[in-house]
Amino acid sequence: MLVKLAVLYVFEMAAVFAGGIGVALNIILFFALEWLYPVAFELTRWGATPGKRSLGLRVIMDNGLPVTPAASLTRNLLRAADFLPLLYGFAVVSMLLRRDSKRLGDLAAATLVVYQPRPAARIPDTDIAPLAPAIALAPRDQAAVIALAARAPRLTAARVDELAALAGAVSGNAGQSGPEVTRRVLGVAQWFLGRR
Amino acid sequence: MTPLQFEQSHQQEWNELQTLLAQLHKSVRARGADGEPIAGERVATLYRRACEQLALARARAYPAYLTDRLEQLTSDAHQLIYQHAELGWSRLKRMVAYDFPRAVRAQSAYLWVALAVFAVPTLVLGYAVYFRPELILTVVDSATAASFQDMYSESAASIGRSREAQNDWVMFGFYIANNIGVAFQCFASGLFAGVGSLFFLAFNGAYGGAIAGYLTEKGLGATFYSFVVTHAAFELTAIVLSGAAGLRLGHALLVPGRYTRLQSLVRAAKESAVIIYGVIAMLLIAAALEAFWSSAKWMPPLMKYGVAAICWIAVLSYLTLQGRSAR
Repeated sequence: MLVKLAVLYVFEMAAVFAGGIGVALNIILFFALEWLYPVAFELTRWGATPGKRSLGLRVIMDNGLPVTPAASLTRNLLRAADFLPLLYGFAVVSMLLRRDSKRLGDLAAATLVVYQPRPAARIPDTDIAPLAPAIALAPRDQAAVIALAARAPRLTAARVDELAALAGAVSGNAGQSGPEVTRRVLGVAQWFLGRR
Repeated sequence: MTPLQFEQSHQQEWNELQTLLAQLHKSVRARGADGEPIAGERVATLYRRACEQLALARARAYPAYLTDRLEQLTSDAHQLIYQHAELGWSRLKRMVAYDFPRAVRAQSAYLWVALAVFAVPTLVLGYAVYFRPELILTVVDSATAASFQDMYSESAASIGRSREAQNDWVMFGFYIANNIGVAFQCFASGLFAGVGSLFFLAFNGAYGGAIAGYLTEKGLGATFYSFVVTHAAFELTAIVLSGAAGLRLGHALLVPGRYTRLQSLVRAAKESAVIIYGVIAMLLIAAALEAFWSSAKWMPPLMKYGVAAICWIAVLSYLTLQGRSAR
């Protein structure tokens, strides 16, 4: 949307000096921005308009492949049907009713708009010494302890203490809490990761 | 095996795959660091191994940063390996020579319906307004009617243009935006069980018919018909084609046959896309003709009718005959 407005603004500046052809190109530009701008951008390797891209979204086919020209054209033309009766009314109804939250254009074109999350950050090397766990844990539970270590840098110290206290049993500190317990639990996480 | 050991033992392959993918994304014919073309075999092998490792990492509940990385790698490789090669000159040539006219003939039943829904209101309102000109006010208000009369009068500087428009280029832009917009509307609104397509076809037919009848009654028929007849070959055909594609969508939804409604709709939309490509091309031609040829005042009407006849024959025989032989 912003990109479209910016393009229009720059163009209007130029069109003021260009006269008749300027007006003509202006009309064509309006038309192209409305109908063809999304198609052009969805066919790039990012599969998304600049707006979608900035939100981490992309358009793909139902089977996970890059969107085809025909599908991109279809989903963007049918946006006219989604817009009815007003302000994307049918699109909203369709998205709310369906489990896969598709609008009508996406249904007909067999496309999906997906969120591509940024990959999780690596678990930082810390000076916390690895500590052998006090009890044996199943892989799922180990993963939970490791996930705590991954999140720790983004949480406040008090919150990490609270969460670590829940897992106190793994370091033999069941029922206790405080910075020392946190250090020991995070140490166990390092052990699960493979540091010795 | 701990997550760190797993990462260490496979990291080299992941990095290699990532580099290859980045190079291939820049250009499919990219060359590796050693100047040799990138071996597709190697990419495929690394891709398969990454898939295995992703499955292992998930089953063993390895930390998110490992599974996320593998998910990203495998999805990037998947998109690259299985991508469609749908653009390019050979594809365009095939589309013009075979796919478009064949797609049109494949849905001839919808075409006849669309043609009837478009032409009947045109003729009915045309005649009605011709015999009772006041009926024009049911379609447009008196000011618009007057401006149409103005546009096609003998004194107009150029035919078919309102006095505010400065030159042919402005009208060219206007025709593109307006006509292709109408065609897209006819197509898209077919999604509602075809009702939208029927409405827009009938509405545009009635509108055109009323204007034609009105101008004929006012004695401006000669200017008007010599203006519209050439580009109509492309424009009216394209509108009917897009309306037919819209009807196809609606029919697929109403009568899905052995498919689910959704599958049926997806199939219809896929087949219609080819027609929409063709419709866009035809309307671009129509807009150019309308702006630069039809509106020219110095051209004798007889010459315009001649060219128009050639255009009509060309369009109709292209749609009915082209691409019948085996490729």
